[in-house]
Amino acid sequence: MHRYPRWPIHLALLAASFLMLIPFYWVLKTSVSGENIFAYPPSVVPKEPHLFYYVDVWYYIPFARYFLNSVAVSAIAVAANVVLNAMAGYALTRDFAGKGLVLMLFLSCMMVPFQATIIPAYLITGRLGLLDSYLGLALPQCSTIVCIFVFKASFEAVPQSLIDAARIDGLSEWGIIWRMMIPLAKAAVATNVILSFIWSWNNFLWPLIVTRSADMQTLPLGLARFLSYQEDTTGALYAFCIMVLAPGILLFLLAQKEFIQGLTSGAVKA
Amino acid sequence: MIDREFGRSLWYRLLVNRFMIVLASIAIVVAIWNVYVSFHDHGVVEGRVVDTDGRPVEGATVELWVLDFTTYVERTRAITGADGRFVIRGNASHNIQIGAEKPGVGRAARIPVRLYFKAEDVSLAAPLVLSGG
Repeated sequence: MHRYPRWPIHLALLAASFLMLIPFYWVLKTSVSGENIFAYPPSVVPKEPHLFYYVDVWYYIPFARYFLNSVAVSAIAVAANVVLNAMAGYALTRDFAGKGLVLMLFLSCMMVPFQATIIPAYLITGRLGLLDSYLGLALPQCSTIVCIFVFKASFEAVPQSLIDAARIDGLSEWGIIWRMMIPLAKAAVATNVILSFIWSWNNFLWPLIVTRSADMQTLPLGLARFLSYQEDTTGALYAFCIMVLAPGILLFLLAQKEFIQGLTSGAVKA
Repeated sequence: MIDREFGRSLWYRLLVNRFMIVLASIAIVVAIWNVYVSFHDHGVVEGRVVDTDGRPVEGATVELWVLDFTTYVERTRAITGADGRFVIRGNASHNIQIGAEKPGVGRAARIPVRLYFKAEDVSLAAPLVLSGG
């Protein structure tokens, strides 16, 4: 039984949600109408909506190829994030010499912007012979410190007695991670999947530097290319934005419950 | 392999969940769309040409203009029959314009025709009206 009525909170949340959804609606509306975004008075409902701007985007640039590249790179990044971050997160829940130093190193590395590490990252990728390849595109995003801490927080919530019982039953450390910890940390897995997917999907700078052929470009680069040689593209540009955003939004909507759980558990237990 | 906690097989839980259902639904829609496209991508553009009184115009020249990067260029022509109808074949674009002309009768300004995929078969709903001849 609630002491206070909840409807004012719900009303405020509805109003906030409405305000946050306005830009999305505006992009969607412009993508089907092509109306000038500076038109006054602005029309709330699209006039004569159609889907031809989406058709234009599909054919003006090799959208399918860029989409495939983005999917491949994001899939590698997501898989690598889940595997590597889970291993790192589990290791950080164990006691070992220099653990505090490692944690401090991780935290300090979070303060270094990616732009500052681009040159060494490029040189390493080049030495590995991975320039202009899917693996090279995904390499710097194969593990992220934030996601390591999400796993660490989630693993720390597992009772030590459970881990000891698993060890007594004969499970190796690998077995403990993959057969016990991961099934208990679904929210952390979902958080890793969503964050790594969105970061990889939206990444612009690294693909710009590491790709050499047009066939290896990803969607953000395609958007820049599209903007560079098309004029009067209000409708098509917004359609392109919708097409780029849609997979990320869909993934978020599908896994939002686990995503929020993962973030909140990380917030209170880290 | 049966998961006792949930009472369903592991494969069932892996395959029947919201992620797989959404992906499968998208795949089905894409497959249906591609089947539809494969049956309607012969590049046929049909229509009629009439004069200002609505009578069919025989022997009018109909032009197909195609968007070439940033400008429209003329690709092919067709001549209308006795009933004013024309059929243009081999259109490979999704963004075209159609115009018509017959000396002595008049000219119809090019009208834009937007298609949902390249070479989509289309029949113009409204006839081209020659005027100003």
